Amino acid sequence: MTRLSGHLVDTARRLSFTFDGRAFAGHPGDTLASALLANGVQLMGRSFKYHRPRGPIAAGSEEPNALVTLGRGARAEPNTRATVAELFDGLEASSQNHAGSLQRDWLAVNDRLAPFLAAGFYYKTFMWPKAFWEKLYEPVIRKAAGLGALSGLPDPDAYDRGYRHCDLLVIGAGAAGLAAALAAGRAGAQVILAEEDFRPGGRLLAEGGLLDGRPAPDWVAEVAAELATLPNVRVMTRTTVFGAYDHGIFGAVERVSDHLAEAGGGVRQTLWRITARRSVLAAGATERHIPFRDNDRPGIMLAGAIRAYANRWGVTGQRQAADPVAIFANGDDGHRTAAQLAAKGVPVLGVIDPRRDAPNLGGYETFAGATVTGTRGRLGLTAIEVTRGGRAEWLDCGLLGVSGGWNPNVHLASHHRGRPVWDEARLAFLPGPGGPAGLIPAGAAAGQGGTAEAMADGLRAAAQALGDLGIAPAPVHLPAAEAEPARQEAFWHVPGKGRAWVDFQNDVTVKDIALAHQENMRPVEHLKRWTTLGMATDQGKTANVTALAVMAELTGKAIPETGTTIFRPPYTGVSLGVLGGGDTGRGFRPTRLTPSHSWAEAEGAVFTEVGAWMRAQYFPRPGETHWRESVDREARAVRAAVGICDVTTLGKIDVQGADAGDFLNRIYANMMGTLPVGKVRYGLMLREDGHLYDDGTCARLGEDHYVVTTTTANAGTVYRNMEFARQCLWPDLDVQLISTTDAWAQIAVAGPRSRELLTRIADGADLSNQAFPFMACGAITVCGGLRARLFRISFSGELAYEIAVPARYGHALMARLMEAGADLGVTPYGTEALGVLRIEKGHAAGAELNGQTTARMIGLEKMVSRKKDAIGAVMSRRGGLASETRRLVGLVPVDPGAGVVPGSHLFAADAPQDTAHDQGWITSACFSPHVGTMIGLGFLENGEARMDEVITAANPLEGTEAALRVVSAHFVDPEGGRLRD
Amino acid sequence: MLIPHPLLGPRDAQEFTYLGDAALMNRPDPAAGEDAFCDHVYLRGNPAGVHRELWFHEQGDRSWLVVTRNTLTHEILGAELATDVARRSE
Amino acid sequence: MTDLIPMTALGGAAPRSRRHGALSLVERPDIALASLALRRGAVAPAPGGLVLPGPGGLASADGLAAFWTGPGQWMVEAAGQAEADFAAALAAMAPGCSVTEQTDGWACFEVAGDAAALEALAERLVNLPAAALAPGRATRTVLHHMGVFALRRDPGCLALWGMRSAAGSLWHALDQAALRLTAFDET
Repeated sequence: MTRLSGHLVDTARRLSFTFDGRAFAGHPGDTLASALLANGVQLMGRSFKYHRPRGPIAAGSEEPNALVTLGRGARAEPNTRATVAELFDGLEASSQNHAGSLQRDWLAVNDRLAPFLAAGFYYKTFMWPKAFWEKLYEPVIRKAAGLGALSGLPDPDAYDRGYRHCDLLVIGAGAAGLAAALAAGRAGAQVILAEEDFRPGGRLLAEGGLLDGRPAPDWVAEVAAELATLPNVRVMTRTTVFGAYDHGIFGAVERVSDHLAEAGGGVRQTLWRITARRSVLAAGATERHIPFRDNDRPGIMLAGAIRAYANRWGVTGQRQAADPVAIFANGDDGHRTAAQLAAKGVPVLGVIDPRRDAPNLGGYETFAGATVTGTRGRLGLTAIEVTRGGRAEWLDCGLLGVSGGWNPNVHLASHHRGRPVWDEARLAFLPGPGGPAGLIPAGAAAGQGGTAEAMADGLRAAAQALGDLGIAPAPVHLPAAEAEPARQEAFWHVPGKGRAWVDFQNDVTVKDIALAHQENMRPVEHLKRWTTLGMATDQGKTANVTALAVMAELTGKAIPETGTTIFRPPYTGVSLGVLGGGDTGRGFRPTRLTPSHSWAEAEGAVFTEVGAWMRAQYFPRPGETHWRESVDREARAVRAAVGICDVTTLGKIDVQGADAGDFLNRIYANMMGTLPVGKVRYGLMLREDGHLYDDGTCARLGEDHYVVTTTTANAGTVYRNMEFARQCLWPDLDVQLISTTDAWAQIAVAGPRSRELLTRIADGADLSNQAFPFMACGAITVCGGLRARLFRISFSGELAYEIAVPARYGHALMARLMEAGADLGVTPYGTEALGVLRIEKGHAAGAELNGQTTARMIGLEKMVSRKKDAIGAVMSRRGGLASETRRLVGLVPVDPGAGVVPGSHLFAADAPQDTAHDQGWITSACFSPHVGTMIGLGFLENGEARMDEVITAANPLEGTEAALRVVSAHFVDPEGGRLRD
Repeated sequence: MLIPHPLLGPRDAQEFTYLGDAALMNRPDPAAGEDAFCDHVYLRGNPAGVHRELWFHEQGDRSWLVVTRNTLTHEILGAELATDVARRSE
Repeated sequence: MTDLIPMTALGGAAPRSRRHGALSLVERPDIALASLALRRGAVAPAPGGLVLPGPGGLASADGLAAFWTGPGQWMVEAAGQAEADFAAALAAMAPGCSVTEQTDGWACFEVAGDAAALEALAERLVNLPAAALAPGRATRTVLHHMGVFALRRDPGCLALWGMRSAAGSLWHALDQAALRLTAFDET
C-alpha cells in the first residue's frame, strides 16, 4: 500500500525482511509492525490460551498481541514486540504459539473449548490424581498455552554492563521529557535523557500536531540537535529505564545493536546502572481500550495507535486501503484520530461514541449514544455491529480504533511503595506519594497529557529538580501548541453476551472477572492471580485499569475503593543475558591463581577450587591410574623424605604499631604479646559467642611487627573482624593492619629432609636445630640474595618449614627446590596429601572448626587465656560450653578394609541410632598411608576417656554403618618429637 | 543504595559489607560478666524505622561506618566514621 | 643478585600488552608498591618530597606517586623499583610510620588512550561518578567482583591495581571491556 503523506519514514531506501518465511519490504524508520501493516498484514500472532488470531493493538512497548520471534537458531529472540522491533535489512521474524501455520492453528480448538477453560479452570480441574500434575498435566498445558520458545542453545551474543552518574535523569523524550532535558541541559546540569524508542519525540511524532505552526517533529529535531551540542547532556535512545531502586539508582537496558543486521563483534545490549541525584519521569501514557463482544480481532486497535501509524509511519491498519475505518471512543481523543484520518483521505466510517452529546470534529459521521456490540472476520476484521437506542446494525469495516482514555505510565513512580491515586476528573491513576525519592513525574505520566501542558509540566519538573540541586535555571521558550479537545466520560465496557477481552495477552475477558467476583476473588491481588490478568510480557499495561473498573462496577464500589494497580520492575521484559551483564565464561567470577600455578600446570597437576582459588589437588605421575595412588605417594614422600606445597592461599595480615601485641592479645584467645621476636606461635580466634572460628600462626618479625596467618577460607573475615576491633572497639590502640596474602609466595617444605633441602638454597644461613629451632622465624636470603621469610612450622607433624619469597619468584623457587632436592626425593604435593597429613597428625581444619565447636572440643581449652581479655573469652566459659563433653578423637575401622565416612554420626556400640543417643559425628576422613587403613577424626562424647572402645558410626542417609575403634587423634608421632628434631 | 561516606561522598552499597546494629560497638567490660556479654552477643534491636547500623567499606577505604538508616524507607539520615563514634563514647 | 627469574602476574617473562582501537593496555610489573600508615599521633611524612594526598587523591613527584587508601593510609608507588627493597627504602624516608611491602601483592595494568575513550571504558568497569576518576584522583572500588585501586594518573592514563592472584581475571575483564567498546569502531 502507498504511504500516507507527512510520515517520518525514509521511503527512498528499501529494507528487505521476512515474516514467517515470506519476503516483504519496508524502510528505515519502520518498526516490524509498521512495515507489516504497510504490507496489509494484520494477523501477527495467536493468543496465549485460546489461540485466537491476533494483530497489533498498539504502536509501542505496551503491545500485548504482536509478539514474534526475531532471528533464528541460537540467536532466536522470542516474545519480541513487533511494535518496537526496529526494522533492518535482512530481519527475520516468525510468529509464535501456534501448531500448524499462523493462519490454520489446530490449537485454536481451545477457542471452541472456551466455555470449559474459564478463569480458575486449571486450579479446579487438574487436581486429581495428584501425581499427574507434574508428569502429565503441566507439561501438556505449558505446551498448549504459552508464548515463544527458547532455542535451548547457549546465547552467542555479547552483553555489557556499565554505570553512569548524573544530576538529572529524564525518563522519556516526549514533549515533557524534551522540555525538561532542554531546561536542565541549558542550566548546566549533568543530564541523561533516556528514550526507549530509536527516535526521540514520543507522542510528538505520532500526534500530527503543529508547534509554532510547524510540524511537531521539526521542533523535536531542533531540540535534539541542541541537546547533542551540550557536553553535559547525554541522550540515550533505544534505552528502557526498567526499574527505580533506592537512592536514585535506576536500571536501564540499551539495545546497542539489536537494530543492526550484524553486531560487528560488539555487544548486543548493555545493562546500565544509572545513579541520578534527581529524576523526571516523563514516560507518557498508554491508551486503554473498551471491552466489547469479540473485540480482539486483527484490525481492532487502539485509536491512538492508528493515529501514530498514520502520522509517523504513513500507514493505516486496514488490509486494503479502501476498507472503511471506524473509531469507538468515549472521549474527544478518538474523534481527533477520525478527523486526522479523514483529512489524510482515509475512508472513515465514523466515530461510535456512547456519549449522547458526542462532538464532530469534521470529515466523518458521529454515532452519538452508540456502542460497538460485535465484530466479524476470522483472521481480520470485516464488519462491526453498532447498537444505538437498542437498534443494532452491521457495518463493513476493515479497521476499528478504540479509545477509552489514557493511563499515565506511573510504573516507575510505583516501584518504591508509591501508591497511584485515582483522579476522577482525568479518569486515571496518577503517581501518588511514597514513590522513589527524588523522582518527579511530569507530562502525560503525571496526567498532563495535552501537548502544551506536557511541555509546560516538563519545564516545571526540571525547575523543581534544578532547585533541589541548587542549580540556577536557564530560560527556555516553549513553542505554542494547538488546542486539543480532550473531554471524556467514564465508559468502561460494553455489557452483553459473548466474550469481551480485557487482557489480550492472557485471554482474560469481562466474564472471567465476573467469575472471579462470583468466586470471591475480589481484591485486586486475588483477581490478578485467579485470572492471570496483567501477567506475562506486557504486565497488563493496556488491561489493568480497565479490569479494576469492571470489578468496581461488579462490586458496586468506586474505583479507588476497589483498589489500585501498582507495578514492579521491570517496566518491559529484560533478557537474562543482559542482566548477567556479560559475565559468562571466564568473566563469571574471578579466579585466583597461586604463584606456582603455571609451574604446577606444567607438572601435570590436577586442580581444585578452594573458594576463588585454584589449588593443585595432586600431581599424577605416569602410570598412576587413580588419584589415591598419587595422593598416597605424595603423603609418604613427606613422611619419608621431603615434599613441597604452595600454601600462598593462607591469609596473611601484617600487623604493626606500638600496641600490636596488646591488640593481638585481644584478637587471639591465647597470649600473643609475650611472643619473642623471631618466634611463631599457634593461635586460636574465637567469635564473641565463645566458639572457635579460625586458627593459624602468628609470627613476630620485630618489636612492633607481627604477621598473622589465617585459614584460606577465612582470610577476608578475619581481616574484616580485625578492622572492626581496631576501629570500633579499641580505636585508641596504636595498630595498623594490611593484608599481604598475595605479596608473598609461601611454600611449605615438609619432611625429614626438609632442612637439608632448604640449606642448599639458603645462602649459608644456619638452619640447625640450635640456630633455627621449632617455631622460629626470620628473614634470610635464598638463591643468591633473594629476600625471603622462613618459618619453622609444621602442619604435617614432620620437620617442616614454610618459606616466603616475593610472589613473582614463587614459580622459580618451586622449580629450584625441585632441582636442588632431586637426590633427596623431593616431591610436590597437593591439597589432598596436605589433608591426609594433617588428619594423620590430628590437626583441626575447616571441617572441625565449623562454627559450632569450641577450643575445649579440640582439646585446646588451656589456650583460652584467663590472664587477659580477648574476643570470645568470657562467653567461652559460660555453662553451656564449659559442660560440653565431646572431644576430638581419632577413629579407625575395626575391619581394616572398611570405610570411614565423614558426616556419619557416632553411637555407643549397642545404642539405638536416634537423636537421643547421638554421641557425636565424624568430621574428616581419609585413607592413611601411614596407618594403612581409612582413618577419621570426629567429636565424641567423653572421647578422651574412651580410647580403644568400639563404637558405631552410622550414616542414616546412606543406610550404612561401621564399627570403629576410638584412638588418639594423633596417628603420627603423638609426642611431637619429629617436628622438634 | 548509596552510602554517604563521610570522606568519599556517596558510594554504591556494592562496595560495602553490612554488619548490623551499631550496638555491637558497645562491647561490655570483661568484668561485666556473662549476662552482659549474652545481651551484647544475642540481643539486639531490629527496629522498623530509624536504625543505627554498621557498614564496612570493604571495597573502598576499609572504614567502618555508623550509618543511620530508616529500615522502612531506606532513607539514610547520616553516616560517620565508626572510629569517631567509638572515640566519642569512650 | 639472585639467579631466579621472576614471572609477571600474568605468568609471562615479559609484561603483556594489547591494543584495541584507541585503547592500549599494558602490564606494569616494574612498579614497586608499599603501604604507608601513620602511627598514633604521627605527622604525615613527605617521603622523597611527596606531599601525601587527602581522601580520593593521587600525588606524584620525582618518580614516586602516592594515593590515599584510607584514613592515615596511603600506597606509595615507585616506577622501575620492583626489584629493589622499596618498602625498606620508604620506611627510611618515613620514620615512625608503618610500612609494608606490597609490590607483589598487587598487579598493575595501565590503559592509555584519549580521555573520552578512557572514560567510556571506566564507566563500563567501575561504578564511580566521573569526579572520582578525574585526573589526579584515585580510589579503591569493586570491578567484576574484585577489589581494585583505580588511579587516573593523567587525562590519558588509567591505572588499575588488582590482587596479584586474580590478575588474569582482571586482565580478562579489561580486555573484554576494551574489545567490546572498540568493536564498532574497528568494523
